[in-house]
Amino acid sequence: MPPHDNRAWLLLIPALALLALVGVLPLLAVVNYGFHDIFSLADIHWVGVEWFADILGSDRFLASLGRSLLFAALVLLIQIPLGLVIARFLIGCGRGAVWGLMLCAIPLVVPWNMIPMLWLGLIDKQTGLLGPAVLASGFDYKETAIHTWILLLTVDTWHWIGLVVVLAYAGLSAIPHAYRQAAAIDGASRWDVFRHIELPRITRALGIVLLLRFVDSFMIYTEAFAINAGGPHDATRFLSIELGEEIKGFSYGQAAARATLYFLIVLTAVWAFVVAMRQKEPA
Amino acid sequence: MTRILGFLALAVFILLPLTQAVILSFTVTMPKPGAVPGEVALANYLAVFADPNLRSAILNSITYVLVNVILCLAVGLPAAYALARYSFIGDRHFLLLILVFRVTPPVVLSLPIFILFSQLGLVNSPLGIALVHCLFNLPVTIWILESFIRSVPREYDETVFLDGWSFPAFFFRFLIPQIAPGLGVAAFFCFIFSWVEVVFARILTVTAGKPITMAINAMFGFQTDIGMVMAMTCVSLVPGIAMIWIFRNHLARGFILRT
Repeated sequence: MPPHDNRAWLLLIPALALLALVGVLPLLAVVNYGFHDIFSLADIHWVGVEWFADILGSDRFLASLGRSLLFAALVLLIQIPLGLVIARFLIGCGRGAVWGLMLCAIPLVVPWNMIPMLWLGLIDKQTGLLGPAVLASGFDYKETAIHTWILLLTVDTWHWIGLVVVLAYAGLSAIPHAYRQAAAIDGASRWDVFRHIELPRITRALGIVLLLRFVDSFMIYTEAFAINAGGPHDATRFLSIELGEEIKGFSYGQAAARATLYFLIVLTAVWAFVVAMRQKEPA
Repeated sequence: MTRILGFLALAVFILLPLTQAVILSFTVTMPKPGAVPGEVALANYLAVFADPNLRSAILNSITYVLVNVILCLAVGLPAAYALARYSFIGDRHFLLLILVFRVTPPVVLSLPIFILFSQLGLVNSPLGIALVHCLFNLPVTIWILESFIRSVPREYDETVFLDGWSFPAFFFRFLIPQIAPGLGVAAFFCFIFSWVEVVFARILTVTAGKPITMAINAMFGFQTDIGMVMAMTCVSLVPGIAMIWIFRNHLARGFILRT
């Protein structure tokens, strides 16, 4: 148990000051704008909870919320197991693992706005490397909703699998080798080793991945907008795309109310997550 | 055998989109001095480095990422030390606060940040982007440094203080050399999240100070020279891949969350 000393707060002052400037102040401003109708910064009217009531009462909002939740759920269902499988596979590669980690990390350093461009170029029917395959299979991401979803999920997986792999690998490689050896002597199968020895020890490492992947995919914007701008027929109209439209349409009051709602959703997720993590902790 | 096949499958999946970009970047797609469309040449890269806008975009990106990393380390190190070595009233609330800011979607805060930063004169400057990226990089820095400081036994600090060193001297002469790899890992993750970010980078650079991401966006137009766009993209990958290479043996440290 570390010694109790409230003077430690002094060491937090720089961090708090920085977070107040770039985090707390803007957040308060967003909440405040959400209760106003804003024509310009000089022409602001109080409208109370009108925007909130509008947004929460509209079918479009609920539909987008459903789509975003579905997308985030699919992302987690695909990327977490896949990342674990790759990380587990790399652990078995010994010294070769570092090459796999470097490989997986490459998409993380590609500028976000170029990721959809790279993929759209790849599947372009005339010039893409996968063009012939796309033509032959009748894949049409512009018109067929299910194909847009497949493309978005593939692009997102390509982009973020590296983060899942690196953090899962970090958790797995911290487990002493003796644990696995002991299990092997007892005749445990690979699955048993994973289920009873590895998984319980990497929950903390996986925790942050789960949360980051949930929030980032729940609020996906750059890729979704560049690939089909919410289409076809609103099939990929996620929450963030609606917010982007309002900001571009200068409806700042509505946009702020919407941003506040999104923040509350994210806050709820974080809270639920922290409660779950603290319960797992040894007291 | 399955191991090799698995590795190959992974490599193909990761490298396929990049292969196309690299091929295109060496293909002349629009007439340029000394090169005809369709030819395989370095013309796109020469054009990128000849364009003053693109050159300054590269410089802007490097500047804001460096400032961001330095800021995060300078501010995050004392905070990480406090969290690693003491318990105090509200320490868990602070951890919750940084977690919340780490996961707050940029698009939620983009509007007030633009208004606030334009009043402070921080729009169109790399400093503005560097500051705002601390929102998601500072928490990661604190988590990483905290775990590194924790792995140094507390007796180490006490010995140094018993020898009569002051607190700042302890920090700079003893603690920082001890956790140097941690500073590297933190810098690496800050770089990864900051170099490629688009939402804040777009909203904070209206007329000038555009980083690489926005310079690439500006290259799309009525007649897009896709070969040159891909050349610029490949150039933007070089620092990232260099970072991955330099920190390859520390990648596996990762970071875990403290609650």
